[in-house]
Amino acid sequence: MATPTAPKLGDLERDVMDRLWGAAEPRSVRDVHAELSAERELAYTTIMTVLDRLTRKQLVSRTREGRAYLYSAVNSRAELTAEMMHDALSVDGLDRTAALVHFADRVTPEEAAALARALERVQHHDEGQPGS
Amino acid sequence: MTPLLLGLIGLLLAGPVPAVLGRSRWLLPTPRAGVVLWQSLALAAVLAIIGAGFATTVWMISNGQTGPFMVAAHVVVIGLTSIVVVRLAWASAQVALDTRARRRRHRDLVDVLGDRDGTEPGLRILAHDTPMAYCLPALGKNRVVVSAGALSRLAGPELEAVLAHEQAHVRARHDLVLEAFSALHTAFPRGVRSKEPLLQAQLMVEMLADDAARSRAGAGPLARALVALAGQSTPAGALGVAAGSVALRLERLAAPVHERRVRSAAAYMLAVAVLVLPTVFLAVPWMIDAWALLS
Repeated sequence: MATPTAPKLGDLERDVMDRLWGAAEPRSVRDVHAELSAERELAYTTIMTVLDRLTRKQLVSRTREGRAYLYSAVNSRAELTAEMMHDALSVDGLDRTAALVHFADRVTPEEAAALARALERVQHHDEGQPGS
Repeated sequence: MTPLLLGLIGLLLAGPVPAVLGRSRWLLPTPRAGVVLWQSLALAAVLAIIGAGFATTVWMISNGQTGPFMVAAHVVVIGLTSIVVVRLAWASAQVALDTRARRRRHRDLVDVLGDRDGTEPGLRILAHDTPMAYCLPALGKNRVVVSAGALSRLAGPELEAVLAHEQAHVRARHDLVLEAFSALHTAFPRGVRSKEPLLQAQLMVEMLADDAARSRAGAGPLARALVALAGQSTPAGALGVAAGSVALRLERLAAPVHERRVRSAAAYMLAVAVLVLPTVFLAVPWMIDAWALLS
């Protein structure tokens, strides 16, 4: 069987999180493996590695239940989405700097109107020079 | 006099000079030279202030008796130097750690929440209506994040312009340039510092990425993408400065591309002069004096 490569593990992290978010109760490696390997061929150890990585990223927490470990999502998908959006949109000028480099900052409606007018000028100049 | 002069140069380079240069539009056509000039100004300010501290220490050792005013002035210089050096070291570490921690967490979230489109390995698409596009630079783990709201507002060439822009940031590690200015800004005490170097560095870096995007996707699509993504009302706290910067970027796109060799050569020369002149005319004679005095 093919050895999983790094981007594949990344893809799996997402799928595993989806399973944990969808589950009402904490799941064992065996549970998650059973669900995911119904769709494709996956090694048990691969799922273990992915759950371990997610635990280290503090996205998943692990509790001991008898002889097995049970895994559950630390935050709901909605909570993580809120955290991510808050982080992405908390632009206070000097603080945002290097962590996330935004394509364009956001502006007020009046400023947006001014930008639209400026755009017309660009279009006007741009006409004679295709693709340059 | 050397210590006071160096201290004065340091203060001028930290406050008034950036304020004046920031208001001029002289560097806008040549962002690459502009970044270099801003970096050299910042480095010169730090060097002048550190030099002032050293010179003052030697002066105090060698001159036993002087008026109280001169002593007080020199104590202020030494104090400022120590503050700047300690804060600079502290701020650099702090900014580096904060930035990396924040970026790592954000990347983890984007990876489990975002979709891959399969074409570009680092591209993640967020199912969210707010139009936005940004990049998370990191060695070997770059992410370019685009929201569904942005995708729905961008036509093919416009999206290509956005991706080219973000990839230019990621490839040239523009974030490291910003990080240095950010550390510097944090390090200089309030009242002495100017926010211009950081704001101007941000603007220059955006313009550099715009140039890359323009050569790949054209000025028109890039300009439309800028307006599509910036022209949304902000949820909280509008940023006048940022709007200004988008306007300046658009203005630049309206002008035809032509190289400004003379202007960028002048900026490069100024960058060298700012670093070399204080050293040659103040620090070297002072070092010779100090050497003669101590030996």
